[in-house]
Amino acid sequence: MLVGLVASTALALSACGGGTTGSSGESAGPGAKAAQGGTLQVLQNAAYSHLDPARGFDGGVNNFYRLIYRTLTTQGAAPGADGTKIVPDLATDTGKPSDGGKTWTFTLKDGLFFETGAPITSADVKWGVSRAWDPEIGIGSPYAKQLIEAPASYQGPYKSGDLSTIATPDAKTIVFHLKKPFADFGSVVAQNTFTPVPKGQGAGNQLDSKPISSGPYKLAEYKPGASLKLVRNDKWDKKTDDVRTANPEAFQWTFGLDPATIDERMIAGQGTDADAIAGTIQAASVARIQTPQLKQRTMTGINGCTTYMGLNTTKKPLDNVKVRQAINLAINKQTVRDADGGSALAEIGTSIQPPTVAGRVDYDPYPSPDHKGDVEGARKLLTDAGFASGFTMTLDTRAQPKMQAMAVAIQQALEPLKITVKINTIDTATYYEVIGTTSQQHDAAITGWCPDWPSGATFLPPLFDGRNITTKGNTNLSQLNDAGVNAKIDEISKLTDVQAANAAYGELDKQIMALAPVVPLLYEKVLMLVGSNIGGAYLHDGFSGGIDLVSVGLKDAGK
Amino acid sequence: MTRYVLGRLGSVVLILLAVCLFTYLIFFKLSPDPAVMICGKTCTPDRIDSIRNVLGLNQPLLSQFWEFLRGIFVGRQYGSVHCPAPCLGYSFQTNESVWSMITARLPVSVTVAVGAAVLWLLAGVIGGLVSAIKQGTWWDRSAMALALGGVSVPNYVLALVLQYVLVVKLQVLPFPAAVSFVDNPVVWFESYLMPWVVLAVGYACLYARLTRSNVIDTLSENYYRTARAKGLSGSLIMRRHALRPALTPITTIFGMDFAGLLGGALITETVFGLNGIGKLAADSIAKNDQPVIMAVTLLAAFFVVIGNVVVDLLYTALDPRVRVVST
Amino acid sequence: MLKKDKGALACLAFLAIVVLMAVAAPLITKLSGWGPYQFDSAATNSDLGGVPHGALGGISGSHWFGVEPQNGRDLFARIVYGARVSITISLSATLLTGILGVVLGMLAGFYRGWVDQVISRLMDFLMAFPALIFMIAILSSLPAGNRPVLLVVVISAFGWPYLARVIRGQTMTLANREFVEAARASGAKGTQVVFREILPNLRGSIVVMTTLAIPGYIGTEAGLSFLGVGVSPPTASWGQMIASSVSWYSVDPMFFAIPGAFLFLTVLSLTVLGDKIRTMVDQGVAA
Repeated sequence: MLVGLVASTALALSACGGGTTGSSGESAGPGAKAAQGGTLQVLQNAAYSHLDPARGFDGGVNNFYRLIYRTLTTQGAAPGADGTKIVPDLATDTGKPSDGGKTWTFTLKDGLFFETGAPITSADVKWGVSRAWDPEIGIGSPYAKQLIEAPASYQGPYKSGDLSTIATPDAKTIVFHLKKPFADFGSVVAQNTFTPVPKGQGAGNQLDSKPISSGPYKLAEYKPGASLKLVRNDKWDKKTDDVRTANPEAFQWTFGLDPATIDERMIAGQGTDADAIAGTIQAASVARIQTPQLKQRTMTGINGCTTYMGLNTTKKPLDNVKVRQAINLAINKQTVRDADGGSALAEIGTSIQPPTVAGRVDYDPYPSPDHKGDVEGARKLLTDAGFASGFTMTLDTRAQPKMQAMAVAIQQALEPLKITVKINTIDTATYYEVIGTTSQQHDAAITGWCPDWPSGATFLPPLFDGRNITTKGNTNLSQLNDAGVNAKIDEISKLTDVQAANAAYGELDKQIMALAPVVPLLYEKVLMLVGSNIGGAYLHDGFSGGIDLVSVGLKDAGK
Repeated sequence: MTRYVLGRLGSVVLILLAVCLFTYLIFFKLSPDPAVMICGKTCTPDRIDSIRNVLGLNQPLLSQFWEFLRGIFVGRQYGSVHCPAPCLGYSFQTNESVWSMITARLPVSVTVAVGAAVLWLLAGVIGGLVSAIKQGTWWDRSAMALALGGVSVPNYVLALVLQYVLVVKLQVLPFPAAVSFVDNPVVWFESYLMPWVVLAVGYACLYARLTRSNVIDTLSENYYRTARAKGLSGSLIMRRHALRPALTPITTIFGMDFAGLLGGALITETVFGLNGIGKLAADSIAKNDQPVIMAVTLLAAFFVVIGNVVVDLLYTALDPRVRVVST
Repeated sequence: MLKKDKGALACLAFLAIVVLMAVAAPLITKLSGWGPYQFDSAATNSDLGGVPHGALGGISGSHWFGVEPQNGRDLFARIVYGARVSITISLSATLLTGILGVVLGMLAGFYRGWVDQVISRLMDFLMAFPALIFMIAILSSLPAGNRPVLLVVVISAFGWPYLARVIRGQTMTLANREFVEAARASGAKGTQVVFREILPNLRGSIVVMTTLAIPGYIGTEAGLSFLGVGVSPPTASWGQMIASSVSWYSVDPMFFAIPGAFLFLTVLSLTVLGDKIRTMVDQGVAA
């Protein structure tokens, strides 16, 4: 998923967690057992983009959706790798393939109800999925549209009616016909688009203001941009759900808070703030949470995304692989990390895929002492390439202090090579539109990528498949179109064994980095402070390192 | 008189229309394509085209502008989304009608503006008056020196200093939050106190200087001396003959300043994280959310222009000399 | 008269220092040893989010005003270079508003009729505009380009009506005076009368209005940079420095205090001097 990521780390409760959960497991910390009941507070800067499951699509909102929506399958509810394992949710299993993986059949559990009391049937699931084809609604997860067969003119159930390629032979069974075999379809049906919506409902922006819950909570009050309250949905039956603990009685969000104010409130932890969770703290607050009491309330882990600088291989002199390698060697990743908030907020990136991706290999193709940049080695490469006297390049960056600080760090690191970096600041709203339009993109851009689920399949092909280069909405920022890489991508996509495929992506990562189309900069971390009364909290690898909302609760619900 | 008022209102409508058209033209080219915004992250050129069609973005600029104006009075349909009248546009970034975003935030801005205005009027006029009466004393000199200093502090610097000292260091005030008065009057007062003070300081200093020089001027004028010679008592002269002419210009300036603030105190609201119109403006500018920027600009211009008219009418009522000319 | 006023002298001295800093910035930073863009990672603690080592924001023999958190850039060098930006932009904006305001104000006041109508309506329109909102909206959506020039243009575009209004009024009064009538009677053309007879008589007001405008524009530039639409990185400006210090003020108050103090003192000095000049002009006119 193209990432709002880097910008939103401080803002949204985006998250991702990681295996390195700070103090979980210790009885006193946020990992302590949560009791039933109480109201859990969430302090947030940015509000959720959409409440409609076909529209929202990022780590933060995906995490939130699990409180009100259920999908055919879902990710596990546990720290570490268990969190990214796909488990059944509405369905009784993770799907039965037939026709060589081209047809997939799922059976619904018994005792499933919407908040209205109406039973959840396969027709409702189909209705929900087919909304993904609506041009105005289906703007979230693209996988249903990409994989499921459908007439080219199909525009969702409101405009085009029934979708014949999804069959519902009875109220409990749903059958998907795919365009071509897809081994990991069991993971795909965990995407938000596979949320049931009562047949006939959800047109326009109905669900954005009033979601129809299938999960343990339902919407009680929503003031866009200001606050949101969820209360228990009594039509949800715990016995049908092995994933959600759903401890609190209610969740209360406050949006639009200034990040510095959130940090102050979380540090003070007064009143109901003891029952609160919030997003990653600001760099300036790191020094303030070093006391033993606060450390005990701290949770940290990497967010599962990679922040990188794309080098446009169609521009001179970046079309020269030696020049790109020189840039890779010269960049001082320490100063880039300092710009992002230092070692507490990011790890230094060396490979394209972040550590949470299955099959990822830890290696550093362009090493330098302490990652501070190897200027001499870079100069040698540049001299070989005929650019000893340097050149000028333009670096696109977002109008956001952290991103600009990283750009300045890169500018400084390349200065000794006589490479003049001009920083082109683009406002946040249009940034991805501009850099995704090949005619408007400059020489380089700082951006990030998060996998849609932690596998190489959602990381390397979208960024480096040369046949995916489009004039608009392009994600292959380096515009790399290398025959070897393309062939390898095709070869891996034919593998039916998911594990073997992931291992192969790990090797492909190295093959791509030899061409140096990007400079991996950082693996950002989440670092959050939770209230002293928070229990059952762990960082979830599948949700950009956010605290898993379906498991967190209050230690003492009576307070 | 009625004709005069009607004429003024006519020019108000004209200016607002001009502001509207100008903003529309400027941002028409500069702002991001709403179709791309709606289309989201996984977008294809075909989808963008179909959304543009639905939203009428393919029509010529002027007919789109006409649609916008019409929407204010009769509401508008954006694809499947309905925006009821008065429709100032629809924000596809927040999925809200701009009108409801503005009405939700206006009370905060009004609270900030009214509180600050009360403070600066009291402090400014009283301070200036006392200085004028005690002209040349140490009180006068130090008050005026202080006023010069107050005028020179950029309000965000003052805001940050106050926040650091009162909230972070001394912890006598909480971090400002837009609490409603009904929910918790104490927190309400504590929250708005710093924004009020920060906004008021600059104006209070200006007003103090202005009041002082106006009063000193009037005190030296002929009719005042005449009144004195007639044997009228000091306080009566002060009220009737010195204060009224000295304060009339203040009313004019106050009307304009206050109207300007109703459109949102951008910097103060941003620094203190108060969700008013000013912060809405700053946020939408950061996100380049064009419909909201448009509406906020229009709203602020509306207050200023209306403020202008009110001040003119008030001025006519206060100063008999103007009345003769205008009727 | 200025010589006897200690306050005014102090202001003058402070302004002289700031101007000197701005003019001789490269020389001064050569002496102090750090450039405005040079990183010093050793001066900050990466593990603590990049907070400067040492007390008072890292003030030391090598970093006289301490360092910027995270990247360790020298604050002294950035203050010195920031003075350049503030002064260049505010002086250019003052010059441009001065020219626009005086010329348009005189034209409107002298010719009256439709010229006056057009210019006055334009002024009404510009003054009704929420200038700050509009300035940041325009600046944030325009491509980066040459930021300082853009800032000057935008500030001036919304600034000139305030000067023009005063000039227009005074021109209207002057136009009826005998010496203007005399010049006209002797066959001088309109433009000649405007620039030879009326302009010299407006000198006093122009000097006062422009001196008082400079601190305003310094504040505006800093404000726009504070709101993130001013000069683009890595260029230093006082407003930009204050903006980046916002999140740090509780951990590293000096990072905020130093640029804040410079901005305040500069604006204060200019205001005090402008005030003095006004008093002098007023008394001169009265005498």
